[in-house]
Amino acid sequence: MNTRLKDTSEHSPIDPRILDEAAAWLMQLHASTVTDTERNAWEQWRLRSPQHRQAWERAEQLMNKMGGLPPALSMAALTHSRGNNRRAAIKKLALLMTALPASWATWRVTPWEAWMAEYRTMVSEQREIELADGSQVRLNTATSIDVRFNAVQRLIVLHTGEILIQTAADNAVIPRPFQVLTAEGRLHALGTRFTVRQGEERSHVAVFDGAVAIHPKSGDSGVAQVLHAGNKTVFTAEAIEVSRPADDTDIAWAQGMLLADKMHLIDFTDELSRYRQGIVRCDPVLADLRISGAFPIRDTDRTLAMLQSTYPVRVIYRTSYWVTLVPR
Amino acid sequence: MSIDDSAHLNAVDTLYSDHHDWLVRWLRSRLGCAHNAADLAQDTFTRILASRDATTVCEPRAYLTTIAKSLMVNWYRRQALERAYLDALAHIPETEVPAPEQHLIILETLHEIDRMLDSLAPKVRQAFLLSQIEGLKYEVIAEQLGVSLGSVKRYMQQAFRQCLLLM
Repeated sequence: MNTRLKDTSEHSPIDPRILDEAAAWLMQLHASTVTDTERNAWEQWRLRSPQHRQAWERAEQLMNKMGGLPPALSMAALTHSRGNNRRAAIKKLALLMTALPASWATWRVTPWEAWMAEYRTMVSEQREIELADGSQVRLNTATSIDVRFNAVQRLIVLHTGEILIQTAADNAVIPRPFQVLTAEGRLHALGTRFTVRQGEERSHVAVFDGAVAIHPKSGDSGVAQVLHAGNKTVFTAEAIEVSRPADDTDIAWAQGMLLADKMHLIDFTDELSRYRQGIVRCDPVLADLRISGAFPIRDTDRTLAMLQSTYPVRVIYRTSYWVTLVPR
Repeated sequence: MSIDDSAHLNAVDTLYSDHHDWLVRWLRSRLGCAHNAADLAQDTFTRILASRDATTVCEPRAYLTTIAKSLMVNWYRRQALERAYLDALAHIPETEVPAPEQHLIILETLHEIDRMLDSLAPKVRQAFLLSQIEGLKYEVIAEQLGVSLGSVKRYMQQAFRQCLLLM
């Protein structure tokens, strides 16, 4: 057999017309608004034939390639001039995350009419699930939720940890509200993407698309408040704090990153310890040291090493479960 | 191995023994560096061996220099990219500096992207980088480049297409 012929079959060429269509989908899914109809159409396109799947795999490879690049460095190298936007990678990934459900490890369970399930993650683990109605939930580290879907409601009970929710339009005959229950109250999603975190006697909410109505448990009805995209707040069973702008740092975890922007070291170590078995503490004299940068939360050892190489701190491992940061 | 293949190998063999030294000298006179000249000459023959049918070559030296020239362009571009990369490394915050073992992978990826985007118009390339590396929305890119949203979408589709075809 001719070796050159064998080569071409190994590379299994994809029909250029299908690649054209894949390019069109990539373009469309990166737009700032992608409708459910478009997403469904894309899903159908992708499943049309093995060649279509293959074309999309190539598209995902391209996305992975681009996604793995450090933005500032790459932009500077590729444009041969200096560029600097240290949060760009995350913005980009956040966009992709809403646009490309296929890259999520998703699975579907039983019909949407009635569905109860529990999901949990261990420390430093993350998990993505697609709910029966097409909504997506990403569980951050050490998180536990119940999913309760029935004829009249779509409810998620957040016991511990943090979730990122991307709601889908309900396809039930009578649309059911999508709600999240925390220890402090109830959140009613108004077509949206948002994060909820169960803190100590307080719940944290940040909204990235659409809006969320907050109903504290013990507050009277006048306390309820609608939080719009680009805002975050904290609420107790009685009251809702004044909202503040939400930004990439609030959602960076979904990309496996801890983004710090002049964060106090003491807050930084608190945050980091969520992603690490055991104890991370810092010497009180370092508490006010300001930390900035993007740190990997899946590799907390590396994050600690990065801290040590950049800031005047020394990392002491008493054991791998007991880490202390002291002045260098 | 087919008869075609052995004829091809013989032709490459002949090309190599007759013209390799000449090609190295030719490259050295242009690059001013013996090391790189020897490397590029090697790459030239590797490329011929891998992909071309050397049996039909009638002007061997013109043929060799055509390939060597395209490799040289590639080489210069890679050098420029590496210099820009190193320059950028010196200017970014320390927390953004990739781990040492990642430099090569990143550079390789950058080079690949650079190559894939090579034939695109500057605005198409710029739109693509702003979207895929800086993470800007199409609307913002349109504003920055002073073009319509429709143009940005067209640019993006073109760039995606180019990448998918060349991957």
